[in-house]
Amino acid sequence: MTDSGHIGQEVPDNVSRGQGIACAAVGLPIYLEMCARMAPAGSPAPYCLTLSLPLILTRPDGRMEPDLTVLASLRKAVEAMPDDVPLRVHLAALLLRGGQRDEAIRHVGAVLQRDPGNTEALALLQQPSAPDTGAGVPGPAMPQETGRPPAAPDGQHTPGAPGGAQPPGRNGPNAPGRPGAPEFDWSQAESELRDVLPPMFVGGDESEAKAPAEAVDSFDAERSTLKLADVAGMTQVKERLEAAFLAPMRNPELRKLYGKNLRGGLLLYGPPGCGKTFIARAVAGELGARFMAVSFADIIDMFVGQSERNIHELFEVARRNAPCVLFLDEVDAIGQKRSQLRNTPMRSAVNQLLLELDDVDGGNDGVFLLAATNHPWDVDSALRRPGRFDRTLLVLPPDGTAREAVFRYHLRERPVAGVNLARLAKLTDGYSGADIAHICETASERALMDSIHRGEARMIGQPDLEAASAEVKPSLGAWFETARNVALFANEGGAYDDLASYLKKRRLI
Amino acid sequence: MTELAQELARADAMLDMKRYDQACGLLARLVAAQPESARAWCLLARAHLGAARHQQAVDAANRAVSLDPSDEWPHRLASNALLHTDNYPEALRAGMEARRLAPGHWQAHICVAQAALGARRLDIATAAAGRARALAPNEPDVHFLSGKVSLAAGNLDAARAHQERALALDPAHSGAMNELGRIRLRRHDTRGAVRHFIRAARVSPAESVYSRNIDVVIVRTVSRMIYIFTLAALLLIWIPVVAHLGRFPFAIGLTALGVLAVTSFAWMVFRLPPEARLLVRRTLRGRRTAAALAVAVGGVAVAFVSVALVPADELPQILPVAVIATIGARLGAFAILRGAISKR
Repeated sequence: MTDSGHIGQEVPDNVSRGQGIACAAVGLPIYLEMCARMAPAGSPAPYCLTLSLPLILTRPDGRMEPDLTVLASLRKAVEAMPDDVPLRVHLAALLLRGGQRDEAIRHVGAVLQRDPGNTEALALLQQPSAPDTGAGVPGPAMPQETGRPPAAPDGQHTPGAPGGAQPPGRNGPNAPGRPGAPEFDWSQAESELRDVLPPMFVGGDESEAKAPAEAVDSFDAERSTLKLADVAGMTQVKERLEAAFLAPMRNPELRKLYGKNLRGGLLLYGPPGCGKTFIARAVAGELGARFMAVSFADIIDMFVGQSERNIHELFEVARRNAPCVLFLDEVDAIGQKRSQLRNTPMRSAVNQLLLELDDVDGGNDGVFLLAATNHPWDVDSALRRPGRFDRTLLVLPPDGTAREAVFRYHLRERPVAGVNLARLAKLTDGYSGADIAHICETASERALMDSIHRGEARMIGQPDLEAASAEVKPSLGAWFETARNVALFANEGGAYDDLASYLKKRRLI
Repeated sequence: MTELAQELARADAMLDMKRYDQACGLLARLVAAQPESARAWCLLARAHLGAARHQQAVDAANRAVSLDPSDEWPHRLASNALLHTDNYPEALRAGMEARRLAPGHWQAHICVAQAALGARRLDIATAAAGRARALAPNEPDVHFLSGKVSLAAGNLDAARAHQERALALDPAHSGAMNELGRIRLRRHDTRGAVRHFIRAARVSPAESVYSRNIDVVIVRTVSRMIYIFTLAALLLIWIPVVAHLGRFPFAIGLTALGVLAVTSFAWMVFRLPPEARLLVRRTLRGRRTAAALAVAVGGVAVAFVSVALVPADELPQILPVAVIATIGARLGAFAILRGAISKR
């Protein structure tokens, strides 16, 4: 007991800081329940808790418990004033001391419903097992802006923290593999975690974590429910898409007035894993048209033996389903430079594709052609002539807003808490969407392995994600190396001016 | 068409589309299901080669050889893959086996020539290239490789003639353009070389070797400029000692040297195509080049200042220091730039 009447407690080695982080992020009652159930016997609370509670009594064994009559009085008071947050916090703290966890959880939950940022309630959530925490009392909550654990007093890494110097799994008394350690009930932990729904992101709207409506990816023509609004960030791409493609489609009168021709398609190009296919689906959704996605793998199946007939059939299906967006994914494979093709059937397939695009009978009305490629320089130049894929749109790696959204999307079904998306987005400048997915996967792996080593499940926290983002390197280097050559040497007629200006901006050329 | 044949045709089409990883996936399934299909193993070797997994390509090709040793294709594939693992003697042996099995096949002769070139067996390479030309005079790759053999033998005129013939047969043959650039470099025609490299990079921007060659030429040019600059500085610092001139002419000499070095470099850059000028700017902004320039200029400045500031009677004592500083600057800058070239 300190002079000020507060009870100090060292941060124990065997408690995951991530657990504290999870609690700090406006946890829900179920999380406290989980913490309480999962904390190994004898495990102290993760942080120093400070609160003056004159109503705590000392047990013969040194532990403190609140007076039952006081508790009864407080319960009545809370019933009378259900919106009195400090009173409820007080009661919850006492209940926690007394080992009445379920009731304490209910009260903390009620507090957080009324005041989601209540630091005392959050601090209470950091107590996994109140009777074993000594006479701990609520202390300062975790800094929510960063989700990082506070530094250890000596300035060293906090033991047990994911980024700490000490290897995980060495400290936990119940860590698997230790002689005499009790068996950890993983199935119970999993079932508990399944229901855990603490707020996931710092300063974010929970509803945003919901995934956008999935679009179809089958060969059949389906209606896409995606809209451009579902594509987070990438304002420039959306603006150019609107000007080059959507506005003329939506305004037929103006289109006629200005003599704007609808012939031809739009070629989306850019580094891999940056959302070209997603954008194509969103375009279909914007147009309210059916969406037919064809990748080179589908085409290859058709190519063997009867290429021309099958390509014709593909366009016929699109015409029958008009208005329809026909999306040719990886068009550099389907429409590769004929000079590079040894295989005669493939060459005739490219010829057939050109024939269908030319649409001599005018049958392509209502068929909007979209294509995507990572290597537009490998696309046969005939495909890029006016009336075919004559408009191009560069889809660059996601910007900050888009990266936040990608993180949000990939973390939506994982047990995360206290994640500062803005900071992660800042750390991952130059990463593709696929790289970010990999980061989330790596962070999950870290948390999972850490949980196994420690013998207690914990949430994925900011340190996991930051460590993962340091570990995963951006995969776009090779693409940009080629893109640099294209911008420098093959930018004939300014076809890659937008790419060149981006590279100059990033000082890559 | 059997199911296997259909799947193999599909894998072949994928390889044609340069979808090496997808082809690998499909072929791995095929060879697992039909391990006795030599053609499937050959295609798998091709897929690995395309994806730059050379050792796996060697393994797959060897497997195909063991299944069908009488076919020349697996031997050729093995030779190609071995070449990439720098195992030239084995590559040559495999190529010769392919040629023994198919003496009328120009690809087998090309394979031998390529492997012999790697193994520095120029006599074998020249003979094989000649035989390939006789068998397929209208095949651009035959002339391309003949040009490479001629260049290795030091016959620049013949090399140029072969590469020009390859380009006449295939105007988009970026390899031949690159070789023409290398021939120009051997003739110390930097500007002409850069032009050829740029042509090659324009045709095949995904091929990094062409832009790398341009970078190397630029770095070498910077290195040469530093060499001339430090050499001139080395001569200049002797002037006060030998001619007993005052400081004013010495300062003029230093200024003239600096201006001359910068002007000559600017003139060289100005004569380059615009794309190469952009690369020069990028190279000069690079850390290593900047460091090399700083070392060279710094060393020379130290030498000049030390010579210029000491009294005339102390010049004989200070001159060795100045000379060492200049030579040190040149060597230091050269080492830094060599690191830059090897890193590219």
